[in-house]
Amino acid sequence: MNLGHRSIFLQKAPGPSAGIAALLSATLLGGLLIPNLATAAGKPTSNSAEGKAAAIKEGASLFRANCSPCHGLSARGGGRGPDLSSGRWTHGSTDSAMFRTITQGVPGTEMPANGFQDAEIWAIIAYLRSLAPPDHPLAPGDPVNGKKIFFGSSGCSNCHMVKGSGGLLGPDLSRVAASRSVAYLIDSIRRPDQELSGGMLDPNNHYGLPLVYDTVTVVTTSGARITGVARNEDSFSVQLLATDQSLQLFLKKDVKEVIHERKSLMPPYLEEALSTSQLQDLISYLETLRGEETGPKEGR
Amino acid sequence: MKKILFLAVLLVAGADSHSQVTYERLLGAPREPQNWLTYSGRYSGWRYSILNQVNTDNAARLGMRWAFQVADLGQFETTPIVVDGVLYGTGQNGRAFALDARTGRAIWRYQRNLPAKLQPCCGMVNRGFAILGDRLFMATLDAHVIALDAKTGNLLWDVTSADYHKAYTFTVAPLAVKNEVIVGISGGEYGIRGFIDAYDAATGRRLWRFETVPGPGQPGHETWAGESWRTGGVPAWITGSYDPELNLVYWPTGNPSPSNYGGERGGDNLYSNSMLALDADTGKLKWYFQFTPHDLYDYDATQIPILVDADWEGHPRKLLIQANRNGFFYVLDRTDGKFLFAKAFGTVTWAKGIDPDGKPIVNRPNPAGTRVCPGAPGLTNWFAPSYDPQTKLLYVATSTECDVFTSSPQPYRAGHDFLGSVYVPDPVERPTGALEAFDVLTGTEKWSFPYFSSPNGGALSTSGGVVFAGDSDGNFIVLDAKTGRDIWHVQLGAAIYSTAITFELDGMQYVVIPAGSTLFAFALP
Repeated sequence: MNLGHRSIFLQKAPGPSAGIAALLSATLLGGLLIPNLATAAGKPTSNSAEGKAAAIKEGASLFRANCSPCHGLSARGGGRGPDLSSGRWTHGSTDSAMFRTITQGVPGTEMPANGFQDAEIWAIIAYLRSLAPPDHPLAPGDPVNGKKIFFGSSGCSNCHMVKGSGGLLGPDLSRVAASRSVAYLIDSIRRPDQELSGGMLDPNNHYGLPLVYDTVTVVTTSGARITGVARNEDSFSVQLLATDQSLQLFLKKDVKEVIHERKSLMPPYLEEALSTSQLQDLISYLETLRGEETGPKEGR
Repeated sequence: MKKILFLAVLLVAGADSHSQVTYERLLGAPREPQNWLTYSGRYSGWRYSILNQVNTDNAARLGMRWAFQVADLGQFETTPIVVDGVLYGTGQNGRAFALDARTGRAIWRYQRNLPAKLQPCCGMVNRGFAILGDRLFMATLDAHVIALDAKTGNLLWDVTSADYHKAYTFTVAPLAVKNEVIVGISGGEYGIRGFIDAYDAATGRRLWRFETVPGPGQPGHETWAGESWRTGGVPAWITGSYDPELNLVYWPTGNPSPSNYGGERGGDNLYSNSMLALDADTGKLKWYFQFTPHDLYDYDATQIPILVDADWEGHPRKLLIQANRNGFFYVLDRTDGKFLFAKAFGTVTWAKGIDPDGKPIVNRPNPAGTRVCPGAPGLTNWFAPSYDPQTKLLYVATSTECDVFTSSPQPYRAGHDFLGSVYVPDPVERPTGALEAFDVLTGTEKWSFPYFSSPNGGALSTSGGVVFAGDSDGNFIVLDAKTGRDIWHVQLGAAIYSTAITFELDGMQYVVIPAGSTLFAFALP
């Protein structure tokens, strides 16, 4: 194996996924998976692997190897990908919608196209449908009040933007519910230093985009300290978005020191800053932030 | 009749100006610094040139002479060959090209028609040509070896080495030795059974094959439990080195499959993660040395072997040096493979150390998740090291990544990922890297130039006292070979996935490096 960015980091080369391929691959797999019916257009629409123990096991193994780096080992959501065990999928919950999401990815998001064989995709879908829905870690709150908290008392919007309103320092949260699990959101609010970003798992990382939200302080030769998040950095320069939301661009040879702290610029919102009931409301509001669906709307 | 004669004279003149690259010229490559004739520039693997026009005093005045766009996507990992003013390179997705090395203008382009579903683990990459006579040799992503005419790019022969449907693939730059073209297979993530092949440069006929996973009845077969040898992996995806005096090809091998689960492949898993010394004429194994027996962390030994003759404990000795992906720096006797010395050259947690026989003293992992250093990308990887005989330093690009590994059984399916685990980079420590200079005999670090990100590019040293390097953040960097001071750098706009070469034309020293999808040539004004 060559490098760290192998299968889990790389998009597989997309290939043709016609019904005939599903039949062939199912044959190759020794009949482990049951071939799917193809429509006249050659597009399979339903999953005859659903509920089949062997397919679910196979899907779990495929999921673990290919999807877990973003969606978590048990599909309960990771730092980058949403919880997929909820029985409700943002980009469509029908078999054909899920099939499409996996093969084509979701444009405009971090979800890539994947080159699985059709039978493999059906196994993954069978696995996802076999999962018990997650325990919701919080009682439902009031999203209207949550929005007030976000834009008012708690100051979230000083740093985070939602649909064009808010600050620039933190991640834009316009569609955060479509990409992060509730557990992850709670963790990010209560303990923001816990996991700073999925930056190291980001497939773009080897293009030199750190995409991290740890605290960076540049100490100039005159002793001034400018703190912010690094929008980019290499051995020779750093591009800082400072806490006053100005861009500050430095050559490292011209500054005294560049300090990286393993802590988020975001303060931890503990019980005294954000009560459990306020957290419930805030999460309920964040759960409404799903952006625009990119695919056609379909019921199951 | 006169016309025909005239034409014949022209043809002869043409042949003269682009003379044949004989085996003798490959042997004498160090004395032809105007050219770059093999992957590592010379058979000893040094990636070192005696050119010194660009040196510590003037390297800061380097400027771009030309750029060549492959016009394709993916990692551009080629090491070009340069012969008498023509540069030959391979690109992504089965592309190749010949350029006027003075201007960067294309003379021809080649595009292999690749099948739709190919499964190279780590990109549709290729690391370069080998040249012999008037032919270029390329090992292709669909597991063929081909010969192209150097002047036209015309296909001369095309042989199938293995079945790409089972995820056998080539990414390696071949090594031309005598009349042979030697290649090693890729596919260690897919449960292949690895091999190193030699083909007749004239006809494409296979002359020998060394199977890196011994079958029943072959020595070493007993190091694979049950039927695990059938899908044992052990690719050989980086170009080896060659000692013409001993007539031995030194070819390193990669990981056993599945790479991160060893439960069903009990034993040392020979010849995974090993250095193989093969008779160049027959492919017969003269000796082997296994760096990482029964590997669980993907520690391919696919780092270029550096062949150095030096005094060892008071006696001249033919040595083989390797800074290994597993985090240890090794010195072997290359006549017989005797282990002489090893030491960690960075943070290593998978083993406590190396015993007097060269075997690692291993810390066994917890299958539920263990933080292991180095991580799967290794303390170093395939990118070329460079040995400078003036400083007696080995320049190695290193990474600090540690990974959290989990491990679980996985059924084999032909052509399918066969990893037995997932691993994720340690979420606490952000991986960085460095270009480090080590004393070639002791592994002692002399200097370290920090990279912000883990590297994917190696090093080129020259007698100008400079080291050329490239980082993953897109910087092409010139360092002082003695001190590691950065003399000059330029941002090329995309990650560097290869290593520089140098050549001379019209009295001017060029340095060429790929970045993104572009080949850049630099020279002094």
